[in-house]
Amino acid sequence: MSTPRPESKSIATYFGYGEAGDSDAEQKLQDLKRRKTKRRLWTLASVIGGGVLFYFSLVVIEFNLGMLYNQVPQFIDALYGPNNYFPPGELFGIPFIDLGAYWSFMMEENLILTIEGGRIVWGAMFVTLAVAFAGSVLGLPAALLFGVMASERVIPYPFNFAFRATMSLIRAIPGLVWFLILIPLGGVGPFTAALAIMIDTTGYLGRLFTDELEEIEDGPIEGIRSTGANRSQVVSFGMLSQVFRQFIAWIAFDLEHNVRAAIGLGLIGGGGLGLELYVQRQTFHYTNMMACIILIFLLAGSVELLSQRVRSYLREEDDVEKSGVIEALVNAPKNILSSTMGRRGH
Amino acid sequence: MSTLKIENLSKQYGDVTALEDVSFEIEDEFAVLLGESGAGKSTMLRCVNGLTEPTEGTIALDGTEISDSQTDVGMIFQQHNLVEGVSAYLNALTGSLNRVSMLKSLFQWQSREDKLRALEALETVGLLEESHQRVSQMSGGQQQRVGIARALVQDPRLLLADEPVASLDPSSAETVMGYLRKAAAEHDVTALVSLHQVNIAAYFGDRFIGLKDGEKLFDVRRDELTPELIDDLYGSVETVGLAEQDETVEEILNNGKAPETASKPEAVTEEIEA
Ligand SMILES: Nc1ncnc2c1ncn2[C@@H]1O[C@H](COP(=O)(O)OP(=O)(O)O)[C@@H](O)[C@H]1O
Ligand SMILES: [Mg+2]
Repeated sequence: MSTPRPESKSIATYFGYGEAGDSDAEQKLQDLKRRKTKRRLWTLASVIGGGVLFYFSLVVIEFNLGMLYNQVPQFIDALYGPNNYFPPGELFGIPFIDLGAYWSFMMEENLILTIEGGRIVWGAMFVTLAVAFAGSVLGLPAALLFGVMASERVIPYPFNFAFRATMSLIRAIPGLVWFLILIPLGGVGPFTAALAIMIDTTGYLGRLFTDELEEIEDGPIEGIRSTGANRSQVVSFGMLSQVFRQFIAWIAFDLEHNVRAAIGLGLIGGGGLGLELYVQRQTFHYTNMMACIILIFLLAGSVELLSQRVRSYLREEDDVEKSGVIEALVNAPKNILSSTMGRRGH
Repeated sequence: MSTLKIENLSKQYGDVTALEDVSFEIEDEFAVLLGESGAGKSTMLRCVNGLTEPTEGTIALDGTEISDSQTDVGMIFQQHNLVEGVSAYLNALTGSLNRVSMLKSLFQWQSREDKLRALEALETVGLLEESHQRVSQMSGGQQQRVGIARALVQDPRLLLADEPVASLDPSSAETVMGYLRKAAAEHDVTALVSLHQVNIAAYFGDRFIGLKDGEKLFDVRRDELTPELIDDLYGSVETVGLAEQDETVEEILNNGKAPETASKPEAVTEEIEA
C-alpha cells in the first residue's frame, strides 16, 4: 500500500471518504476509492474468517509439531535399510537400492502376472485394472441414459429433474461408501468394487454428459427436425452428434479416474494392488509396500498417459475426416498409436 | 410438380404481429420472398416447414394440409444448421432419416439407394470430391451447398430457403444461388426462397412476393417487377444507397443480368455445368 501523496488532503480522502472536489471527475475518483476501500475490507474479513476456521481445524485434528519432530527419525529409519522402503543393494558394483527385492515380491505374490502350465494367471495389477475397466463399461450405459435424460434440451423441465436428482444422490455418497453398502450384494472383493465403480460412473460421467449437452447449438437440432426426422433421431443426430467427441474425451478421463478409485477400493477389501498394499502395511513390510506403490505408479501413470493421448488426439483431429461411430472405434487404436508417436492418423 | 397454397396465414408472437393475413399460391416455379429485415420472411418459411405453428390460416402442399416438419419439404437455413463435426456425406445422409428406423440410422444402415442418393445430391451441388470432408472445415459457400444436398436427399416436393446467401460474399452467393436454382430444376421441385439482395433475387427468381410489416405488398412475375415496387417495399427513403439500388433494379430488368458482376453469370454457369 502506497502512502498518500503529499498533496492529498487527508487519510479520509485516500480511503474515499474525504471531501470530494467539485468536478464530476473528482467525484468519480472519490467513488472509485470508496469502492476499493470496501473491497479491501471484504478481503480482510475473509482472510480473518479463513484463519479462524484453520485454527479450529488444527485444534480438532490435534495438530502437533512436537510429535512430527520426535517421529521424523523413525520415519527416516523406515526409508532405508533391510525390509524398509528402500532396501540397500548394489547395481553394477555401486551401492544402490536393491531392486531385486521389489521384483521378487512382485513375482512371489503374483502382482503382475504369471504363466502356469501354459495358462496366464492375472496378478493384482490386472485385477485393479479389470475392476476399473469393468466398472466403467458397466456404468457407461446408465451414465449415458441419465446424462441425456437429465438435460433440459431432451426432457422438458420438471421431468428432467428426476434424473438430475438421482445423479446428485449418487454423487453425494463417496465410492468407498457405495462399496460398503453393496457388500451384502457381492461380498468383499473385486466384484463389489466394480459395482461401486459402476454406480460412481453413473453419477459423475452422467453429470459431465449433461453439462456438455447444455452447451449445444440450436441450429443443427432445427436442421435435423426440418428433415422430418422423429424425436429420437433429432436427439441423436441433432444433439448427441454435436457432443460425440467431448463424450469420448470424458469417458477417457473417467476411466483414468476409476483406476485410482479402484486402488482406493482395494484398500478396504476390493482386491488388487490396493488390498496387497494394505496387507503389507499391517505386517510392516515396507519393501513390499514399496513394490506395490511402484506398480500403482506405473498403472495409474500409463492409463493417464493413454487417456491424455485420446483426448489430445480428439483435439488434434480437426483436419481429419470423421467417420461413423463404429468406424471411429475401430480406427481409434491405430490413430491413438500414431498420435502417441507424434504423428497424425490417416 | 407441386403446388403450395397459403391461405390467410397470420402469426402472432405475443403482441408482435409477424404475419398478417397472407395468401398466395405458387406452382412449379422459383419464387422469391422479398422484404426488409423484420418483414416476416423467416416466420413465413418456418410456418411452411412446420418449425413454427401459425396463429391462423392454412398451408397446403398439393391439397394436403401441412402442420409438422416433414420429408416432403426441404429447408435450407441461413446459418446452414448442419452438424459441423461430421462429414458432408453424413450430413447429406441425414436427409433420409425419415425413411429409416432409429436403430438403423444409428448404425448407418440406410439402404444403398439412400447412400447413393446422398452422394448424387452432393454431386449436384459440385461437392462429390469433398464429400468426406468435415463440414467445419468447409467454406461458407460449400456449407450452404451441403445444406442444399441434405434437402435434396429428402426427395422433397417443395424446397424452402431462408436467406441462404445472406452471410456469403457476392461471388459465393451467386454460385450457391446457381446451384439452388439448378437443384430445383433438376429435381423438378417448387422453391420458395427469401432474399434481401434485390439484384440476386431479380436475376434468379421467376416470381416475387413482397412482404412488408407482415403483410403481402405485391405478388408479381419477373416482367412485372418494377423499381417502384421495390421502392415501396424498402420504404421510399431518399438515400444514396437506395438511389443506386433503383438504377440497379432498372439495369437488371433491362438487360436481365446481375449488374455488379456483369461477366459473372457465364462463370457461374460454367462452374455449375462442369
Ligand atoms: N421467436 C420469436 N419471438 C418473438 N418475436 C419474433 C420471433 N421471431 C420473429 N419475431 C418477430 O416477428 C417479426 C418478423 O420476423 P422475421 O420473420 O424473423 O422477419 P425476417 O425474416 O423478414 O427478417 C419481427 O418483428 C420479429 O421481431
Ligand atoms: Mg429472417
